[in-house]
Amino acid sequence: METSLIKEELLAQQLQNAFENIVTEAVRKDTVFAYASKEQVSSILLYAKEKLGYKSLAHMSCIDWLESDEFELVYIIWSPETKLNLFVKTRIDRQNPEMENMDMIWRQLNTYQREIREMFGVEFPGFVGEKEFILEDWEDAPPMRRDFDTLEYVNDTFFEREGREDKQDVRERIAKRSGEEIPDFAKKYSRE
Amino acid sequence: MREKSTTLYLGPQHPGITGNMMVKLQLEGDTIVKATTHVGYLHRAFEKLIERRNWMQTTTILCRFCVPEPDPPEAAFALAVEQIEGREVPERGKYLRSLVLELARLQSFMLWYAGQSGSTGLYTVGQWSVGDRNYVLDLFEELTGGRIYHMYIWPGGVRRDIPEGFEDKVLRTMDYIEKRIDDYDRMMFDSAIFQKRAQGVGIITKEKAMEWGVVGAPLRGCGIGHDVRKDNPYDAYDKLDFEMGIFEGGDVWARARVRQFEIRQTISMIRQLIQNLPSGDYLNKMPNPMKWTIPAGSAYGKVESVRGEFGFHVVSDGSDKPRRVHARGPAYVHGVSLLEDVLIGQNLADVSFIMNSLGVCPPEIER
Amino acid sequence: MSFFDLKGIVRPLIGLSQFGKNPHTKRLDVLGKDTADRYRGFHYNDLEACIGCGNCSTICMNGAIDMVELAAEFNISQAKGNSGLRPRVDYGRCCWCALCVDVCPTGSLNLTKEYNYVSPDPNTFLWTPGVDNPYGKDQLSFVSTKETSLMTFDRVPMRELDGTERVKSFAEVVLGYNEEEARAEASRCISCGLCTEVCPDHMHIPEYINAIARGNDQDALRIIYDNNPLPEMCGKVCTRRCEDVCAIAVRGEAVAIRWLKRYATEQAQTADLIQEIVNPEIKEANGYKVGIIGAGPSGLTAAYYLALRGFDVTVFEAKQFAGGMTMYGIPKYRLPMDSLNKQVSYLQKIGVKIKFNTRVGKEISFDEIYKNHDAVFIGIGFEKPWKLGIPGEDLENAIPAVEYLRMINDGESYDVGKKVVVIGGGNVAIDGARVAARHDADVTILYRRRVEDMPADWEEIEGAEDEHVHIHPQAIPIRIIADKSGKKVKAIEYLEAEMIAEEGGRPRPVPIEGSETIMEVDTVIGAIGQEADYSFLTEEYADKIEVNRGRIVTNAQQQTSDAKVFAGGDAVNKTADAISAIADGFRAVKSIEAFLMKK
Repeated sequence: METSLIKEELLAQQLQNAFENIVTEAVRKDTVFAYASKEQVSSILLYAKEKLGYKSLAHMSCIDWLESDEFELVYIIWSPETKLNLFVKTRIDRQNPEMENMDMIWRQLNTYQREIREMFGVEFPGFVGEKEFILEDWEDAPPMRRDFDTLEYVNDTFFEREGREDKQDVRERIAKRSGEEIPDFAKKYSRE
Repeated sequence: MREKSTTLYLGPQHPGITGNMMVKLQLEGDTIVKATTHVGYLHRAFEKLIERRNWMQTTTILCRFCVPEPDPPEAAFALAVEQIEGREVPERGKYLRSLVLELARLQSFMLWYAGQSGSTGLYTVGQWSVGDRNYVLDLFEELTGGRIYHMYIWPGGVRRDIPEGFEDKVLRTMDYIEKRIDDYDRMMFDSAIFQKRAQGVGIITKEKAMEWGVVGAPLRGCGIGHDVRKDNPYDAYDKLDFEMGIFEGGDVWARARVRQFEIRQTISMIRQLIQNLPSGDYLNKMPNPMKWTIPAGSAYGKVESVRGEFGFHVVSDGSDKPRRVHARGPAYVHGVSLLEDVLIGQNLADVSFIMNSLGVCPPEIER
Repeated sequence: MSFFDLKGIVRPLIGLSQFGKNPHTKRLDVLGKDTADRYRGFHYNDLEACIGCGNCSTICMNGAIDMVELAAEFNISQAKGNSGLRPRVDYGRCCWCALCVDVCPTGSLNLTKEYNYVSPDPNTFLWTPGVDNPYGKDQLSFVSTKETSLMTFDRVPMRELDGTERVKSFAEVVLGYNEEEARAEASRCISCGLCTEVCPDHMHIPEYINAIARGNDQDALRIIYDNNPLPEMCGKVCTRRCEDVCAIAVRGEAVAIRWLKRYATEQAQTADLIQEIVNPEIKEANGYKVGIIGAGPSGLTAAYYLALRGFDVTVFEAKQFAGGMTMYGIPKYRLPMDSLNKQVSYLQKIGVKIKFNTRVGKEISFDEIYKNHDAVFIGIGFEKPWKLGIPGEDLENAIPAVEYLRMINDGESYDVGKKVVVIGGGNVAIDGARVAARHDADVTILYRRRVEDMPADWEEIEGAEDEHVHIHPQAIPIRIIADKSGKKVKAIEYLEAEMIAEEGGRPRPVPIEGSETIMEVDTVIGAIGQEADYSFLTEEYADKIEVNRGRIVTNAQQQTSDAKVFAGGDAVNKTADAISAIADGFRAVKSIEAFLMKK
């Protein structure tokens, strides 16, 4: 799949020239990544929209990187001329997550921001969207955060239907039958 | 005399949509002054559940993102995974994928006929098209083993090769449906009632369309020609001969005309796909699903569904489970903020009519 | 409008004119729909073909499949390599995605055309496919085939030296997996663990393979060293019965468990590196002394794990190097000497003391060992070859294979001449033949039964054939003919045999009368079996330690009739392979610990 990425490299260069301190990468066909700080995102998006023709916002997404205590926000914009997808990515502090409200640039961000606020607890100061979106009377932690344990929640909220208690684990049964002792440090490699 | 203001809760069950969704309407007389959408009746937390599923298990949960069109989510996810992994799809696999996607579009168009005409009271077309849609579902059953949820498109290709004699069956069905849609058109598009109901209703202007991120038939109904299959061709679409339906007006009528045009394009594409189906492998098989890891990276895979661009933002951290799978259905942009805006000034009786024309599908808004 | 409008009342009565007419709608017969050939309906499981690996239960993303024990009347096999469990589906959760079908390694689980089931009892939603719908057998629709299955049935091929190239030297034939190959091969494993039961040592196979698949080779090595201190040797020459029961092997090639173990061990090129990676916890010395006779696999295993548990361990080895039969009985193109010595020197680093060139009964008496230690472990192995039992066996140039192999491995030379006959069909016979082939001899193997009856590894047999060793099955030698001098071998005479089916046993070779053939040969190598040499046991101990039919009698914990003496390895078990010896050693460690620490 080795194709030349001329268009992609060009876009990466254009952004690089316009903004200092950002990292751009022509990843693969039709895809360019730009990593920026939180403050730069709105100016990059506006620049791309007004100057480079990236008029259409396809997607906005939030990813929880629990290990590094960060949220990653990704804006994917698309240009009708070059037909490239530009990913503008930024990382924000997970403890005090805040991002600039941008539903004036693209109106559908209203919906995205409502969802991200509800599901991840990211605040958008100045944003006036309805507080409740998908969830109703939710008082627990924002559920899409990775430290929200679905299984625990399900076990607390629902009950298992009776009649399935006799299930057995194949690996355990075999080990028991043969007297094998699986050491604790190896168990993380056992079948789930 | 001042007209009395009324608040009306429309839904969650009503004929404008496939699924459950409520719209709170502020009415003066029967004119809407404010509309507020309420979603959440169909939230099944798929994206959260995927955190605990491996890549293979994810492929079977995706189809449930959207009931009327379960294949575009599968395809968009597969495209995103292939981009991250660099997995090639064999030619035959690409053609079969496009075939399934077009069949999915076809049956979805027919469902749209039913919804669009039904919401004006023209029930006959609805009965016809839903009845005839079953012939398409029969094809799916034959090909994939399921009528509604196919779980057929996998990263790397498709799940099974076509069964014997399938090509003939598809062509015969296409001949039949092609004849039938002429009947639908006579009944629906030629009907004075439908024309009167549709023209000038639910207008989206060109400027608004870009600003609000409108996609698919509603966008092409504003005279703006964008279609993922043309712009960023995937699977076998770069080898197919087809046209976009572009109509001016931005109202329900224009959107209906787009679909009326495109259903014929779809039938033609299905014929092309069957006629040019290459031989060879249909799947570039993934390793043992229990130990299948995808290198770290992210990608956005998108396909054109009947209602517009269906995209998946997939993030992998290099493990055997996806880090984040975030779906973006066309209804996500059409069904919430845009709908609230478009409904202002419209008649109460047109609400479900407009919703249907925008392709509002709650299961993909809340997932 | 007047109050009494006659017209308004009478005209709607027109509706009555329809009274008594036939309705427009009429009831038609209900036609059942015949579903497509690929329809995904209820499951059907072939209870006999199923091995209970539980892969269906693992892939099920709805958690709908449980593995359960069925009632005795279903006669579910509880044999090794079969978990005895069968899937049960919760149809309240199943979504008919059929991933369970596509990952079933045996192909026993399929979907049927049946999709309609109505019951007034809400507790009948749990189905055991195959039990609740025996008729499903005739309704199969969405089936698992080798082509559509998601399992990878083909093994990553092992790179080997070319047949003509390898007879030139004793260079190792098998080249081993590289990283990419190992990851690919490891990812074929479904982690069911059925193999662990067959392994005499119950190694944690799914765990270490998974560690390799996830790219964590060091963890893999740590897991392997949990109960096998000679894994590199096993990785090269193990009899690997685990691969016989591999779930993938039902329809394809077993996961190359042995080669993966070999891959995991090869990352540690030196004894220091092994110590660095494995980094075992060594308990403080507890003051007990254990003497071990024989530095073969069982003795070394016992020594290593006893040393880790804080015992003072001394191994007495008759020869110059440790390893026992794995050192002296296995040709170097299969197991290079450096590899074995590296593993042994790691054991020495951990604190195992080995006294080389110390034959018990000669350099040191058994009595001395017995009295100076708190416990004794006997791991002497089989080094005395069985006699062929035919005339001419004592001639020069008629040599037992173990003796021949020992000489070659020891660096001594032995001229086999141009034409060699090897008698036997086990691994030792093949080893002898392949070693002789490396000395430019034209080698023929005479074996009583058919090739498929040979107890040797099929890979070894194939390897021999690649090296132009001729295998003559169904040939029974009757005498070895001497040359004029009466000292040297000139020819061998044998009978052709035919296979006669034996009731309740394997077919028996019966000589065909008048089929005597004489073949001119320079050397005859006999390899029909070995036994142990118990001459070191003085009378006093021979009475205490029970020996039956050439084997030391022990209980399940490897303890002999003398409570202080433990035994393991070929001299005890019947399987007579290295991994069984290791298992014996490992078991003995636990019982020695229990025996001494309880006191």
